[in-house]
Amino acid sequence: MQNGKTVVIGVIGADCHAVGNKIIEHALKEEGFNVVNIGVLSPQEDFINAAIETNADAILVSSLYGHGEIDCRGFREKCNEAGLKDIILYVGGNLVVGKQDWKEVEKRFLDMGFNRAYPPGTDIKLSIKDLKKDLGIEE
Amino acid sequence: MELRNKKLTHDEFFKQREEVLRQWPTGAGVNLEEAAEYLKKVPEHKQFSKKLRYAKENGITLAQPRAGVALVEEHINLLRYLQNEGEADLLPSTIDSYTRQNRYNECEVGIEESKKAGRSMLNGFPAVNYGVEGCRRVYEAVDLPLQARHGTPDARLLSEIIHASGWTSNEGGGISYNIPYAKSVPVEKSIRDWQYCDRLVGIYQEMGIELNREPFGPLTGTLVPPSMSNAVAIIEGLLAAEQGVKNLTLGYGQCGNLIQDVAAIRALVEQAEEYFKMYGYDVYLTTVFHQWMGGFPHDESKAFGVISWGSATAALAGATKVIVKTPHEAVGIPTKEANAAGIKATKQTLNLLRGQRLPESKELKAEIELIKAETKCILDKVFELGNGDLAVGTVKAFEAGVLDIPFAPSKYNAGQIIPARDNNGAVRYLEFGNIPFTKEIKDYNRQLLEERAKYEGRPVSFQMAVDDIFAVGKGVLVGRPENMR
Repeated sequence: MQNGKTVVIGVIGADCHAVGNKIIEHALKEEGFNVVNIGVLSPQEDFINAAIETNADAILVSSLYGHGEIDCRGFREKCNEAGLKDIILYVGGNLVVGKQDWKEVEKRFLDMGFNRAYPPGTDIKLSIKDLKKDLGIEE
Repeated sequence: MELRNKKLTHDEFFKQREEVLRQWPTGAGVNLEEAAEYLKKVPEHKQFSKKLRYAKENGITLAQPRAGVALVEEHINLLRYLQNEGEADLLPSTIDSYTRQNRYNECEVGIEESKKAGRSMLNGFPAVNYGVEGCRRVYEAVDLPLQARHGTPDARLLSEIIHASGWTSNEGGGISYNIPYAKSVPVEKSIRDWQYCDRLVGIYQEMGIELNREPFGPLTGTLVPPSMSNAVAIIEGLLAAEQGVKNLTLGYGQCGNLIQDVAAIRALVEQAEEYFKMYGYDVYLTTVFHQWMGGFPHDESKAFGVISWGSATAALAGATKVIVKTPHEAVGIPTKEANAAGIKATKQTLNLLRGQRLPESKELKAEIELIKAETKCILDKVFELGNGDLAVGTVKAFEAGVLDIPFAPSKYNAGQIIPARDNNGAVRYLEFGNIPFTKEIKDYNRQLLEERAKYEGRPVSFQMAVDDIFAVGKGVLVGRPENMR
């Protein structure tokens, strides 16, 4: 059953990790989301253009390869410039190079303007629960 | 120029080469004759092909880590640490993901940011940006054979630079470094570009320098059935051999069931040798076994369990080398200490099992026969589609879904097959897509999955594959339903 919300998902930068991306798509669809999957190796612009074209409610950014910090910089500003002022932005995965303190990494991404950031190994069901809350969908 | 599986002519190669060396300013620093002189001076103990020959002839399995950081000095420190503290037998230089997409401007940003941040902001070593000078500094600072490990669809400039720098092996191939690593690179393009990389090795070979080439066996590393990865490995081996490669390492990624994994390596060697003979290539063949490439447990002790299991399987299979994972695998790129710890756990296991092989058994024999029969179905169709030309056949086979890699990002991959584990954890075909198997083979795969379904009290479905993907990270091989865990 559709819940009426559209989510753009993809893997940012020069990252080609495709497995989790396919599973996130599968899980979101099961929960009734309209999923626009732009796939791996996606620049910020592709996320933003897809969100504009589909009038999306949220963008979920994945990064598994460690360059997330460079790739995500300025994402919120670019969204604002494109007119996506209050769009919900999540990011998750292995976001930085090496095993770093998660609280510090999380802060870095929240400071960049992401609404939520998820550490390595997070069950997608948790993020979907948060997303429903943030989008005001009744459980 | 039409794609065909034919050795590039002198003119074809050198005309292309002019263009390749202009792709980034460091290309100007590559001089083939000077590089050949440099390579001739590489001592035996730093030659990849020599060390692999020694290991094969003496029944030893070598251990090799993955490792690479943004800055030359840091990279040297890392490799020396893995050599001295980790006791690695072979060294890598893992190349960063911007280089893999030929985005050298972004590498420059990564290098500068890494200097400022005091930590690596890149997930590997940007070899092209450093050129021959930087890469030779790395080669000269270590005492073991050095290999480039990456995931680059167009690795022509990278290959020129690393070989000219004394790195005596290069990983990759036109399929294995495209389908799992790119979204929109045509198979035809990556096959051509890897024909160039292979021809470069062939040219050095003709000058008396034996470099090693290693197609990337595990592909997406996610429940790839052995017959599919073996088919790709044999194709890439044959394409490399046509370009004059003589020292070849074919690879396979651990699936997790001991009998299937040992059978996969044995089937790969036997079948590849048959094909090389059939097509008249004289190749010295070795094997590489990749420890579990899928999701890992976060708990480091549990991760060591996975690492040791892979090491044991590699030893019992008689693989020439094993690629090592680390206890940090679940969270990303490891520290040098964690990386060394992974190698040490691996080597301890390898040493304890030295000389032992999984004995012949009815089950092992049957599994080898099954993998070979499945692989042959695929390869026969590839040759048929290409009217006998393997390069053309490969392109057409991807279009037709005859070659189809599960969970791959490439839009040139059909993505129709679905794998899942049987009740013993061996990876089978759940959906066959357009894989041209006989009815007998299809029925047998189905029967094995039905046995699992019955045991689990649920139908055979995609959910099994999803559960299997997360299972090892959660501590088990087969992804059972929640009420059975």
